[in-house]
Amino acid sequence: MTSALNTFPVTQMPADGRYGPAGTQGVSVRVFDPPALALLAARRGGASALTVAAHATLGLALADTPRLTRANGLATIGAGPGRWLVLAEAPEDLAARLAPLAAHAAITEQTDGYVGFELSGARTRDLLAKGVTVDLDPAAFPPGAAATTNVAHINVTFWREPGDERFGFLVARSYRVAFARFLIASGAEYGIAFAHRG
Amino acid sequence: MRIPCPYCGARDASEFAYLGDATLTRPDPAAPDADEAFHAYVYLRDNPAGAHSEWWYHSAGCRRWVKVARDTTSHAIAGAELAGGAR
Repeated sequence: MTSALNTFPVTQMPADGRYGPAGTQGVSVRVFDPPALALLAARRGGASALTVAAHATLGLALADTPRLTRANGLATIGAGPGRWLVLAEAPEDLAARLAPLAAHAAITEQTDGYVGFELSGARTRDLLAKGVTVDLDPAAFPPGAAATTNVAHINVTFWREPGDERFGFLVARSYRVAFARFLIASGAEYGIAFAHRG
Repeated sequence: MRIPCPYCGARDASEFAYLGDATLTRPDPAAPDADEAFHAYVYLRDNPAGAHSEWWYHSAGCRRWVKVARDTTSHAIAGAELAGGAR
């Protein structure tokens, strides 16, 4: 464990700041609260009806595969067969906006259940190689690819953003400190900037 | 060992929970011989060396049960399909 982390209780988020050798910054981490988040779970046998309704009423393209797609200020992330996380770009009453889909899906408000981490920087994949067992080569995990998996024993849903080495993570709120400590401990050798957004 | 989840792709076995033989059917609890049938179902399991069909639950991924055809001597996996098919 990086010695700098020893100054923080394991129950509190590490302080914003830079960790690692002076003059290096290989990774940047921004912690954020999802503006609005919900889980959409198709009712039994209703995945295709839900897909049609989501496209017709909200303009969403629900792909039944682990991918992130964006439309109309909403990102949908495949979380399992017939299940999607819906992440809004701005605060809104997501349950109300998704209500027209209630006949085809169970809609569960998740906004406070998760914390987001946005990772970027030239050494991001070197950091993630210490905890992610999914192949993150751009050929295997291109922009928009998503996965739900365990990282350092912490369950996460993450995806690759367009552009150079940018990834978004959703982590259950009660695990945010453990995940932040994993990121700092693993990224300190490359120089890591850790900050909260907004 | 990596298990080819039909939804998530190949994932480490640590993401899965193991249930066992996928060829068995849970007995009818209302049947007159239910006691005997459940004893056999729960305790009298085969332990095959070689080809086996088994249930794995992808608890850290898509949260679906996967039926996996695995060789218990080599860990070679011949195929995997979601329990219950698509949603």
